[in-house]
Amino acid sequence: MKTDDLERQLKAANPYPSQALTALKIAPAEAELGEAIVGGPASAGGGEAAGRTRRSRRPRRIGLAVAGGLAAIVAAVVLVLSGGGGEDGSGRAYAAELIRFAEASPLLLLEGPGWRVQNANEQRSREGVEGTMEFVTGKPVPYESIRVTGHLGSERVAGLLPASVRQRRVELWWRHGSLAEAIGFQRQAPHPHGQRWLKLPLLDTSATVDTRAEFYANLGRPGDRRMIAFWSEDGYVLQLTAWVPDLAAFEERLGWLTKVDTQAWLDAMPAKVVKAADHDAAVRGMLKGIPVPSTFKPSKIPDEGLTATRYQVGASVTATVSCLWFLQWAEARRSGDRPAELEAERAMATSRRWPILREMSKDGAYPLTIWQLAEEMPSGVWVHTGHRHPLLPRAERLGCARLGLPLLPRKQKLQRERGPPLPPR
Amino acid sequence: MPEESTLTEALPRKLAEQRFARLYSEHGREILGYALRRCPEPEDAADVVAETFLTAWRRLADVPLGGEARLWLFGTARLVIANQRRGERRRGRLTEQLRAELRRQLPAEVPAGTSGILEALSGLEESDRELLMLVGWEELTPAQAAQVLGITALAARSRLHRARRRLRARLAEAEGSGCGENELEAKEARR
Repeated sequence: MKTDDLERQLKAANPYPSQALTALKIAPAEAELGEAIVGGPASAGGGEAAGRTRRSRRPRRIGLAVAGGLAAIVAAVVLVLSGGGGEDGSGRAYAAELIRFAEASPLLLLEGPGWRVQNANEQRSREGVEGTMEFVTGKPVPYESIRVTGHLGSERVAGLLPASVRQRRVELWWRHGSLAEAIGFQRQAPHPHGQRWLKLPLLDTSATVDTRAEFYANLGRPGDRRMIAFWSEDGYVLQLTAWVPDLAAFEERLGWLTKVDTQAWLDAMPAKVVKAADHDAAVRGMLKGIPVPSTFKPSKIPDEGLTATRYQVGASVTATVSCLWFLQWAEARRSGDRPAELEAERAMATSRRWPILREMSKDGAYPLTIWQLAEEMPSGVWVHTGHRHPLLPRAERLGCARLGLPLLPRKQKLQRERGPPLPPR
Repeated sequence: MPEESTLTEALPRKLAEQRFARLYSEHGREILGYALRRCPEPEDAADVVAETFLTAWRRLADVPLGGEARLWLFGTARLVIANQRRGERRRGRLTEQLRAELRRQLPAEVPAGTSGILEALSGLEESDRELLMLVGWEELTPAQAAQVLGITALAARSRLHRARRRLRARLAEAEGSGCGENELEAKEARR
């Protein structure tokens, strides 16, 4: 028997040829497994560096293009600290809670001429505490919505802000973890223009700097470089990222980094936050223009007693209301209660007009997620890359289970057996 | 295949998740196929997929970029199956849904008219069988199969030649032709 014949016989004996595998309808199960791997308690690795989260707040969906922070947003204990933009100057009295969190953070500011804090965020994750700060100069720097194309390792990006705008922002990110791992991970990231690492002095230590951290193949020309400095301090790994015209400009930014005391750090925080004491009033304001179901009570909206950005509070408010509507919708569909089903669909159809979502849409993609879910309610399916998926598991990812409002029967059963989820630490 | 996605910005955690998502979406079914072809029950394949990608997530920095990622995943899946055979614990809870779907959608059937070659294949040494399956079923080149098995391309080609000869001999033996070249091969197979 010739080799070709043998190979033909062998191929024909393949019990699971690729077309049979393609025909399997297991996408939801696969997606669930993927999410469990990335988000489950066993996932200590992969991105050992936990992500800074200005827009989508640690999305954990696998292979899904829908933007939005979903469950992670709602679950995150966001500890954005506010002093009212520093307009009142120093000497402001801060609540003990704020001071406690400030003292638990690396008290660093970028004290370059004209630079200020645009945003700050701290949250607890499975890996520990992680936080971010954005420093900008000039006009506020908006968030970017970029489009990535191409193969891994040679990806190209479109939609970035112009270099002149990008270079007005510096990002500081910290988390508990290993410096060696953070650097090791960065070394594994695509470097389309090669790698060049340096040691540069920083504060009272030195930083390891990736001077060719462009990542995307169509970025990184002379006059527009992305650089990242890595160092560690008090158990934190810190990372300062900036687009700069050249290395000298990056060194200048590193030189501006200053250790400050709690008061100065809190004074520097931006105004666009909701203080803990103002939470209920802010929630009442955000609920204006939102139809709520009969099952809604303001107490269902989580209040951690902490200070958070309006974006985060808005996510909690709109997620709670949306989950309740989806709960009504799902139960109505199961029981054949068409009027209740239609009521939920019509209420969610107004979400495009909810004032807080319109406000949030300038800062992130969470509103888009709710709007897309609302649009799919009448069909009850979610179409992604040509495949139709049931809508309810998708809606569950608004964080409904974490809010104590699980939509899926198996999650409802789990919560009946084990009680509602514990509040974040 | 070029793929488009909407992201916020390139950050370590986000990069990790993005990279893992790509690995999983591009190679998840291939690894499932690899596992299905080697596990006695379709449900066991779900555990292999879970363990393989859990390993990939934990060791993402070790997963090579580009096309070699696929080979790395095959190699990992091979070790996972070996461990599974040694009685390692299963990822039952992680894979509950996938196991159920595979149980429902994949009745154990042997393609018609292939029992002879499958029987011959099963009679080979594991190393021969694995090489033949990697080339025949996973459609790898000998050089790619070599990477999965951790041997040189030269050794893979040489082993593949011998494995084909042994398979041929076993088939001939089963068919009872017992003459000429096939007789020699049958002797070879018995060595």
